[in-house]
Amino acid sequence: MRSNNVVAMILAGGRGTRLFDLTKKVAKPAVHFGGKYRIIDFPLSNCANSDISTVGVLTQYESVLLNAYVARDHNWGLDVRDGGVYVLTPREKDQASFEVYQGTADAITQNIDFLDNLDPEYLVILSGDHIYKMNYATMLAYHRVKGADATIAVREVPLKEATRFGIMNADEDDRIYEFEEKPAQPKSNLASMGIYIFTYKTLRKYLMADVKNPESNHDFGKDIIPAYLNDKKKLFAYHFNGYWKDVGTVDSLWEANMDLLYDNNELDLSDPDWKIYTEDINALPQYIGPEGKVENSYITQGAVVMGSVKNSVLGTNCVIDKGAKVIDSVIMPGAHICENAVVTRCIVADDIVVGAGKKVGHKDSEHIELVAKDTE
Amino acid sequence: MNALGIISFEDDTATIDGLGEFRPVPAISFLGRYRVIDFILSNMTNSGINDVRVFCKEKPRNLFEHLGDGTLYGINSKKGVLRILYGEKSFSAPIYNTDIANYMLNMQYIEDVSNPYVVIAPSYFIYTLDFNDVIKAHLDSKADITVLYTNTNDAKRSFLNCDALTLAKNKRVTGIEKNRGSKKSRQISMEAYVMERSLFIELVKRAAEMSSLYWFKDIVADVVEEKMVVGYNVRGYVACLNSLESYFRVNMELKDRSVAQQLFHSNWPIYTKTHDSCPTRFTEKAKVSGSVIANGCTIAGTFENSIIGRNVVIREGAVVRNSIIMTDSYIGAGAKLDHAVVDKYAIVHHVKKLEGTEEAPVYVKRRDRI
Repeated sequence: MRSNNVVAMILAGGRGTRLFDLTKKVAKPAVHFGGKYRIIDFPLSNCANSDISTVGVLTQYESVLLNAYVARDHNWGLDVRDGGVYVLTPREKDQASFEVYQGTADAITQNIDFLDNLDPEYLVILSGDHIYKMNYATMLAYHRVKGADATIAVREVPLKEATRFGIMNADEDDRIYEFEEKPAQPKSNLASMGIYIFTYKTLRKYLMADVKNPESNHDFGKDIIPAYLNDKKKLFAYHFNGYWKDVGTVDSLWEANMDLLYDNNELDLSDPDWKIYTEDINALPQYIGPEGKVENSYITQGAVVMGSVKNSVLGTNCVIDKGAKVIDSVIMPGAHICENAVVTRCIVADDIVVGAGKKVGHKDSEHIELVAKDTE
Repeated sequence: MNALGIISFEDDTATIDGLGEFRPVPAISFLGRYRVIDFILSNMTNSGINDVRVFCKEKPRNLFEHLGDGTLYGINSKKGVLRILYGEKSFSAPIYNTDIANYMLNMQYIEDVSNPYVVIAPSYFIYTLDFNDVIKAHLDSKADITVLYTNTNDAKRSFLNCDALTLAKNKRVTGIEKNRGSKKSRQISMEAYVMERSLFIELVKRAAEMSSLYWFKDIVADVVEEKMVVGYNVRGYVACLNSLESYFRVNMELKDRSVAQQLFHSNWPIYTKTHDSCPTRFTEKAKVSGSVIANGCTIAGTFENSIIGRNVVIREGAVVRNSIIMTDSYIGAGAKLDHAVVDKYAIVHHVKKLEGTEEAPVYVKRRDRI
């Protein structure tokens, strides 16, 4: 198919410091989710399913694994003629000092030559940190119908939580007249999801002006959107009601995993019409041993369960030995829970060994325990 | 690797009742996630064979869909070739649809390559093997033909109707006969050979002149005195899927991790086509033990000692024991299955009880509703 006039750019440079040791060696978008996935599979699969086949991925923090991972664009069906996944890391340029990406807008500005070559009509800006399924084509149709300069996806949040988000104040027609970053007294409950569609020509002008502004943070939320509003540009809010989760903390990452355990869960990864694609790993099908016990759990291929598992998510090739108990926990790929160990309310990081007889986590803990070091 | 890979097909003594009616044996699903052909093709590509001819007896659609251009198996997208070949004109009777007839019809794809050697192997034998070792042994022994074999002490039950080799002390093959199950210990031919490509072509042409009903293994049996035919013992796990009973037994054997570890090695991946199914969900009511389960399933019922393929739904109250449930099937509440093979897309809902035996498992047809 001849590629259309849309390019998506996924901001995937963040470390995700609140995930602590999970992001010690990999960037947040590469963190595992739901047994077999990585977080960035969601925006990439959404692009593929929305027929957006040219995708730039902007990486920066600990990007070796992430760059190699997303470059294998055939995993998401993005290896199409005239399209594909482009890995965009900060680079040295002629006549300019070498700078890492200073902010979300700067990451785009630094790759303006890449975009100019593609000459898209619309630019979709996405974040590599969220778990959700969304048809960007529908949002783009809305952007076109509204004749918008920019469209921002929003979701309604409880008013008392609105102080944690970037809040959009919009009129009855959903035209945004004000944007407030983490307001103390929120006027509305429409939170920005960090998903933007821009008409490229207009955005380009604003980016070029922004780069010259020494006061700017070079950030979409802090600088570009306020500049648009200041000039009375047409900004519209696009309402999204489906499942969406920012998995920026150990607790929220755990919660999003737990959401998969229930019947008719909103995220529904089994929908054949909106598959979430991921890398193809060679692993045997999962095996539940003769004394294995599995209750209310979500388990992927390669997992071996000789012990018992309850209310938990098990990743690729993890092993639960005989007598071991896993309760209310997320076991990431390759982790090994040895004989008679007990894991309660934990996230056990990839390839970690919980030694025989060890106990980690507690059933009444306020927070989820992250197990990121071997316990022998 | 300087060998051309040829994946041959099984003769008519190998029929898997039921399953075999809907697809050729190489395309039959295996151990929940794989298809039969994945093993031999992965063996070839892992050995560095980048030029493979897959001969298909019938119904090639399944293989085209499953194998694609072979890149999933490690066939190089530029330098490698995977060709699926079959008799494009139908044979006047199925009995003429021999491997020799198919080689003759597609001879140009065997002649037009530069590889000096050929590795020929059917897909219905399941094993993992590095063909570099076989080629090295072939060259060291100065054999004309090297034939793979496995030692078994279970020949009264396993490998029935397969060829058994008589070997001299120096491993030279002195005779080939059918295993009718009369002896316990046998050296079973795996119908896999290494030889110079020119000799292969010569033997195919000789066989075609000899009889239209000849198979390649027949001409090999004919030349054991004229040519130096030497056996190569394959020591790991070897199984032959030539009947529903053996298919059932081999799947059940490999369910056990300790047996599976004899076949699957971490440095020797078995490739297959991914379908991007999500992980399998077990509800609070699920009771599962001793089973192998593929992705995409929803399990609310009870099952033990079974193999569950992709996207299978097992409802609360269903009890599945010692069975193989294939992709996209549905087992309704109240169904009780023991020693059953349920083919793809089948729906078992109104039937209360299906009970077979190890020797004669009950078979539920593809797309059947019972």
